Amino acid sequence: MFSRHLRVALCGAAATLTSVGPTLSHEIVGNRFFPATLTIDDPGVNDELAFPTVAISKTGDDPSFKQLDVSAEFAKRITDDFAIAVGPTWSRLYAPGGPTMNGASGFQNLATLFKYRLFKNAEHEFVMSAGLEIEWGRTGAQGVGAEPFNVYTPTLFFGKGFGDLPASMNWARPFAITGQVGYSIPSSSKTVTFDPDTGEADTEFNPRVLVWGGSLQYSMPYLKSAVVDLGLPDFFNHLIPIVEASLQTPVSNTFSSGTVTTGTINPGILWVGRYFQVGVEALIPVNRQSGTSVGVIAQLHLYLDDIFPNSIGRPLFGNSVANGRPMFGNRQ
Amino acid sequence: MNSFVVAVPFLLVSVTPVLAHAMLDHASPRVGSTVAPAPREVVLWFTQKLEPAFSSIEVRNEQGVAVNAGKATVVGDRTQLRIPVRALPAGTYKVIWRVLSVDTHRTQGDFTFRVGP
Repeated sequence: MFSRHLRVALCGAAATLTSVGPTLSHEIVGNRFFPATLTIDDPGVNDELAFPTVAISKTGDDPSFKQLDVSAEFAKRITDDFAIAVGPTWSRLYAPGGPTMNGASGFQNLATLFKYRLFKNAEHEFVMSAGLEIEWGRTGAQGVGAEPFNVYTPTLFFGKGFGDLPASMNWARPFAITGQVGYSIPSSSKTVTFDPDTGEADTEFNPRVLVWGGSLQYSMPYLKSAVVDLGLPDFFNHLIPIVEASLQTPVSNTFSSGTVTTGTINPGILWVGRYFQVGVEALIPVNRQSGTSVGVIAQLHLYLDDIFPNSIGRPLFGNSVANGRPMFGNRQ
Repeated sequence: MNSFVVAVPFLLVSVTPVLAHAMLDHASPRVGSTVAPAPREVVLWFTQKLEPAFSSIEVRNEQGVAVNAGKATVVGDRTQLRIPVRALPAGTYKVIWRVLSVDTHRTQGDFTFRVGP
């Protein structure tokens, strides 16, 4: 009984953690501002603090249970192109979740992301970065699914704005897409647990997982400042309607996990100011294994490069003149 | 987590008095607009004070030829950037701006407006 529910909890928590895990960094490329997205990472590096990020969802486990995640993330540029981010996540599993089916709470494993901006083209509003995320084993509570081993996820990130479309397609120029493709590698190929009642060993194979996703966004700030100023109330000029997709596909060592893709599609909206942004999105499971009802995620995200431009909001080494975020209204 | 709990109220309190990027608030002629008669100058309003020595505007016609009639100047409370232009015949014009805010953030952007009926 214990091992079955522990395994269930581990799978569910891992899936949820992946879907609402670390996200960071807004990015500026020419005319284009890529906001920080909530369920995937966006393509750039910057100094920022996301706190809090709150997500509520019902897991895809059987039986399903409600899970609450509260997370924070702090990202610091070391150079103009290289940043390190750390992010703790606290989870609460409501009954029948957790090893005893009575619920559980505690921190997930601590995650650290090392990220380097590889390429940026202002004219075509294109940016690409590479990162390595490490989830440190045994730094979280096993009751909420924190694994006893490290997980390494090298990832490629990209962003592309459509501001370079011809004037005849002005309506489409505020659109942008972002995406990420990562490969998650556990440091241990299997986990053995023992049933406290029978003493029987239970072996769980830890799969390697393709972690992928993207976003489609429509920037009202871009519309106002680079395409056409419609004279809308200022509140609307700060909005970015967005749809994100956050997905995971086990691809090897899948004896325990199977190969079904899980994840969520997340429509929502961001409000982007000069010093911070707020966002809220629905978490719509793509199948039964991903969840049993629509969840929600919300985030307050602070731009430390704007709030503290001369201290912690600038790189530790390198460029003393920062590339800025273009073009927003000034009433907030 | 505790450090975040301590840091966030401090950051929020600190939001008001500090500086940020210089962003385009609005422009004359308006972004994407059609105007008649032709303007004699282009004026941009930014959300932050500018460093005059590192802030510029260029206005180009459809052939990509500059139609500026002088250099851009920072005016008012240092949040406006203005540049005179030649007599503009009917057509589409592109405004390209690059500025440096007093907190050393660079921003850039461009937009078009049209002169015509």
